[in-house]
Amino acid sequence: MNILVKNILRLLIFVLAQGLIFGQLNFGYGIHPMIYPLFILMLPFDTRPVVLMIMAFIAGVGVDFFMNTFGLHASASVFIAYIRPGIFRQFAPRDDYDVLKEPIAREWGYPWFIKVSGLTILLHHLWFFGLEYFKWSSWKEILVSTLLSSIISLTIFILIQVLFFKKSKNV
Amino acid sequence: MLNFIAFFRRFRVFLVFLILQIAALSSFFSVMSFPRTKFFNSSTAFTGTMLTWERNIVKYLYLDEANERLQAENVLLEKRIADNFVSIDNNTALIKDTLKRLAFERLPATVINSSYTHANNYFTINAGSDKGIEKKMGVVSSNGIVGIVYDVSENFAIVKSVLTSDINISAFIKKSNAHGLIKYDGGNPRKVKLTGFSNDIEVEIGSEVSARGSGGYFPQGEPIGVVEKLEPIEGKPMWDITVKLSQDMRKLRYVYIIKNIHQMELESLEMKIQQLQ
Repeated sequence: MNILVKNILRLLIFVLAQGLIFGQLNFGYGIHPMIYPLFILMLPFDTRPVVLMIMAFIAGVGVDFFMNTFGLHASASVFIAYIRPGIFRQFAPRDDYDVLKEPIAREWGYPWFIKVSGLTILLHHLWFFGLEYFKWSSWKEILVSTLLSSIISLTIFILIQVLFFKKSKNV
Repeated sequence: MLNFIAFFRRFRVFLVFLILQIAALSSFFSVMSFPRTKFFNSSTAFTGTMLTWERNIVKYLYLDEANERLQAENVLLEKRIADNFVSIDNNTALIKDTLKRLAFERLPATVINSSYTHANNYFTINAGSDKGIEKKMGVVSSNGIVGIVYDVSENFAIVKSVLTSDINISAFIKKSNAHGLIKYDGGNPRKVKLTGFSNDIEVEIGSEVSARGSGGYFPQGEPIGVVEKLEPIEGKPMWDITVKLSQDMRKLRYVYIIKNIHQMELESLEMKIQQLQ
């Protein structure tokens, strides 16, 4: 499949899944599972940073439409698109990335995927909840929300990788 | 020269980052301070329609609960119908009541999208300007106050929930008649704070908190909740009052929008206060 069409389809699926399913789940304890950062993580390695951020902005605005958050998701997702190259460089394998392969767990192994997505989710959630509360006095709520949501989001990321990006060739 | 180009490339990325952040955050913070943007919200036609579909699927899960609620409400209403009353005294005369007039109308609506776990919560209802809903109308459920209409489109409206830090609904405590403002400080969606009570006012735990009716958003005495906890604020002669909401915002499905028939009159009269000062 054409790489552009594939990523646009992924964008639609991730935004709709976030807005209609994961955004409607209410766990309490300040937990907000977010799956659309995975879309930004899975864009090809050689995506130019500017294109990456614009795609992230579109995804974020799409989620904002559903969640009544007025630009908060857009801001957080542009932030992780901005730091994505840095995070990838940090965890690069010894002989660097093969740009033809996708950044998914099947190609680079689960330890790599968990490290990269764990750090990305943590920074994304910290940015998101920090801006949402925007008060030093509520640092406890911000930390609790960030940590608990990160654990849930990471679990969902791994599940998506296991279920939808299997070793078979049809995906 | 090559270094300079490399620097510029890096700088360009940061510039785009900055522009996108400003676009997103200016929208977010302008909403937090006062209603202006109309762009990022789910009263737009597309997301509104999608959320209505989703709700049409999910609503069957809540039918039992809704039925119970409606039954209880019916029983309450039937108690008020004159037909269900029998006169005890045979000598009473029929008096036509000209002292009371209808001041508040209630328009029914269903919540199609809501949140309660954020620091500031909004929900979307499936009634808009077509049904006569306007900005700044009060929204209640059968249990109590739930919010104020924030933005309206043709068929949908966004309601600023009582779980918003700057909701500032004026409320009073039944027995003492003293009044303060309702605020939400995040955390527990069942509890809000009642601020502005100086600690020489006696407050009893368990007494009812109701809307004061200022601003004309709600009828006077519309229930909000009960006083649950009472603590003095350190260094200030004030009470820190925790109010347990009578409507569980996590289970909100059916609401009424309150239309104040005398709203214009009230506003034009209160405008004169500024002129007098």
